[in-house]
Amino acid sequence: MNFIPHTKEHISKMLSVVGCSTLDELVSEFIPRLSELNLDNPMSEMELVSYMTSLSEKNSPMKYFVGGGSYDHYIPAVINHLVSRGEFLTSYTPYQPEASQGVLQVLYEFQSFICLLTGMDVSNASLYDGASAVAEAALLSSAYTKRKGVFVDDGLNPAYLKVLKTYCDGTELCITNTIDENTACVISQTPDFYGNIKNPHGLIEKAHAHHALFINCISDPTSLAILKTPGEFGADVVVGEGQAFGIPTSFGGPYLGFIAVKQFLTKKLPGRIVGMTTDDQGNEGFVLTLQAREQFIRRERATSNITTNQTLLALTATIYLALLGRSGLQNVARASYHRAHLLQEKLSKIGFEAINTSPFYNEFLVKSPKPSEEIIANLMEYNIFGGIDVGDNRLLVCCTEKNLLQDINSYVSVVSK
Amino acid sequence: MKLIFDYNQSNTKHTPDEEKDVDLPEELKRSSLLLPDVNEVQVIRHYTELSKKNYGIDTNFYPLGSCTMKYNPRVNEDLAKLPGFSNLHPHMPASHAQGALQVIWELEGDLKEITGMDAFSLQPAAGSQCELLGVMIAKKYFAEKNENRTKIIIPDSAHGTNPATASMCKFQTVTILSDDRGNMDLDEFKKAIGPDVALVMITNPNTLGLYEENLSEIKDLAHEKGALMYCDGANMNALLGISKPADQGFDMIHLNLHKTFSTPHGGGGPGGGALGVKSFLEDYLPVPRIKKENAQFVFDSNQEKSVGKLHSFYGNFGIIVRALSYIRSWGSDIHKISQIAVLNANYLFTLLKEDFDVPYDRRCAHEFVISAKNFGEKSTANIAKRITDYGFHAPTIYFPLIVKEALMIEPTETESKETLDEFANVLKTIIKELKEDPEVVKNAPHTIPGRLDEVKAARQLNLRWVPHES
Repeated sequence: MNFIPHTKEHISKMLSVVGCSTLDELVSEFIPRLSELNLDNPMSEMELVSYMTSLSEKNSPMKYFVGGGSYDHYIPAVINHLVSRGEFLTSYTPYQPEASQGVLQVLYEFQSFICLLTGMDVSNASLYDGASAVAEAALLSSAYTKRKGVFVDDGLNPAYLKVLKTYCDGTELCITNTIDENTACVISQTPDFYGNIKNPHGLIEKAHAHHALFINCISDPTSLAILKTPGEFGADVVVGEGQAFGIPTSFGGPYLGFIAVKQFLTKKLPGRIVGMTTDDQGNEGFVLTLQAREQFIRRERATSNITTNQTLLALTATIYLALLGRSGLQNVARASYHRAHLLQEKLSKIGFEAINTSPFYNEFLVKSPKPSEEIIANLMEYNIFGGIDVGDNRLLVCCTEKNLLQDINSYVSVVSK
Repeated sequence: MKLIFDYNQSNTKHTPDEEKDVDLPEELKRSSLLLPDVNEVQVIRHYTELSKKNYGIDTNFYPLGSCTMKYNPRVNEDLAKLPGFSNLHPHMPASHAQGALQVIWELEGDLKEITGMDAFSLQPAAGSQCELLGVMIAKKYFAEKNENRTKIIIPDSAHGTNPATASMCKFQTVTILSDDRGNMDLDEFKKAIGPDVALVMITNPNTLGLYEENLSEIKDLAHEKGALMYCDGANMNALLGISKPADQGFDMIHLNLHKTFSTPHGGGGPGGGALGVKSFLEDYLPVPRIKKENAQFVFDSNQEKSVGKLHSFYGNFGIIVRALSYIRSWGSDIHKISQIAVLNANYLFTLLKEDFDVPYDRRCAHEFVISAKNFGEKSTANIAKRITDYGFHAPTIYFPLIVKEALMIEPTETESKETLDEFANVLKTIIKELKEDPEVVKNAPHTIPGRLDEVKAARQLNLRWVPHES
């Protein structure tokens, strides 16, 4: 394929304007030409489609009863049609606000949705993913408290914990076992990785007693439709993964990190923030604001190095939330909750031990009567991905509104064999 | 202006019928959910209307310097949406995700060939996360060698992310001024390089669009003192199939998949990052790595020296699919991208030279920087706004910081001679206006809304919609 519009005549005309006789001469004038490159012959569009399709067919998407940081909720058809509009898709960071009012307003609406759902005051315009959002929140806490200790409650997604540890090692923060006068923040996930819904009240009091910030991490934010908001509980920072809002599982990315804070932390936020303002005629419009926090102005004194974010996914989430609205999101949350509880009940009748100690949302932990690898392998034969093996014959199982009653019945009938 | 929150309530449902309430203790339950209920037709009209207020590559020429705004081939969008890719759950065992692992493996392979590096990680979500990874690798590498290196050398023309990343990892940034040819000043560099320097971060070609002429000497001096050479590869669109950064003496390079390999920039993201390293740094790359064993692709998390994990899963996989598709469609013709990108930049540069101040009059690479300082203060901002009135997107402005009233222009290879001629004519027209009717430029853009008050936005913060008291 060739996406270059020039004819041979154009190229020679342009070369003569710049004072060169050939393209090779033009580049070799100042770029040392070094070792040879070995790539295959170019593919036509038809060859490319055939090749990439053959690779995609080596994967086996299934009926998912699996979450663990990636949730298979239903994606309304409208989303893809709107997100694919070239005006959104092929634009970039809105440096020229007057040419970017569409994306800027979408991000303002996104920030508003995140604040409404989490009960927080201010949201940024997105971060890379759930894991880096947790790490950015720890960095924010350290910058605010001038402390280096990071306390992590049990039940944080193990992948997030690993990424947090990578960031801590690199930035000289320290994950600790105690909450004390060196603690910058206390990080807790609810519902946690094993599905438990926690009441963070006690931990928040403890964090605040030591003047540390409390960070609430959320893995499947559809849960916010039915759960009391972290803001109401008194969290200072809420971070999480927004993939559940209309973004395909896509083998783990691109996803949507989000971060929202209480008012007093606004100027410590990393990344882009959109604000509403006016022109000199009083017409309302949107711009990127508080840019003095950011790397391209403040350089070594920036709040973070993040530049490119996940705007298109923020757009996806915004349209998802707009389409579902209050009743739709509540339905998704309630359906996910009820399906998961139904499956847990059915499994506990056939010898699976329910081991969650707290109420759960759409993910739960069961101890299998048979080796868990065997259970997973059996289900896969029926095109069902039945759970994450978390060791000790324990399975982490998840339901969304997509897991219909008949799917739940097939799951149960396969594992009871 | 109407927000989605301003629409009337309606009864649209996209989900199963109304579900019964959940059985949770009251202290854990949400009391009210203040989201709007908007009809599907209204949602479509609302966001379609917003899209019309937005400017993309599909709309017209978008010469944003350092961002490589080239045509995004549509077929790659379809390929990333193939069900075998987009519906694949990331916890799926490697045995059932062989195609996905192969995609990652093959892109790593192509990037090795293109850059000359020995190993790649595709976990970083964007260029700045690559930088963070690169600096973390340097930090760990020197810690293991018991070498106390506290400084990172960065030229003053560098992207802001370079120094921001250095300080995140508690390194001190040593800024080297540019010389009168736009290179990192060699004498200053010689004074700064020493046994306390961990990394020399260089963008090549640099943000002035100029090939770093002292690179070979800088590389020798850096290596002599034991420092590592890091290439910010944001400008790789100038070098594809022409020159390999590994051959230039770099030990690490990051690539921005969304720039060089043309995945849509999506209004600010998602991007995709790739960090390439020489073999002596391979063991430090994030886990899990992807390995090929007996014709099977497997995850390998047993890397003792690895800096750890960087992404919730394996990186921005959908972007990886698009980048691989893009590279395969070019294949061995990939050098044509950079040849034409360099031709287009030099052509437009030549057309504009007579009208603007040229801070560094050299052959440019894939982009160039001109200055509007001769037209008075703030004239660059005014020109940029006025460009919008003529239907083009403005270039990057006031960057790099070392050029007063800078306009940084990157045309890319997918723009025709006709478009470049039109754009040059628009700039020439605006300059004429500046001389004959300056108010029309100073009051630009003549759109609704017009020029927005950024100072007010920062002073009277309005960052979200707030529900009306009910």
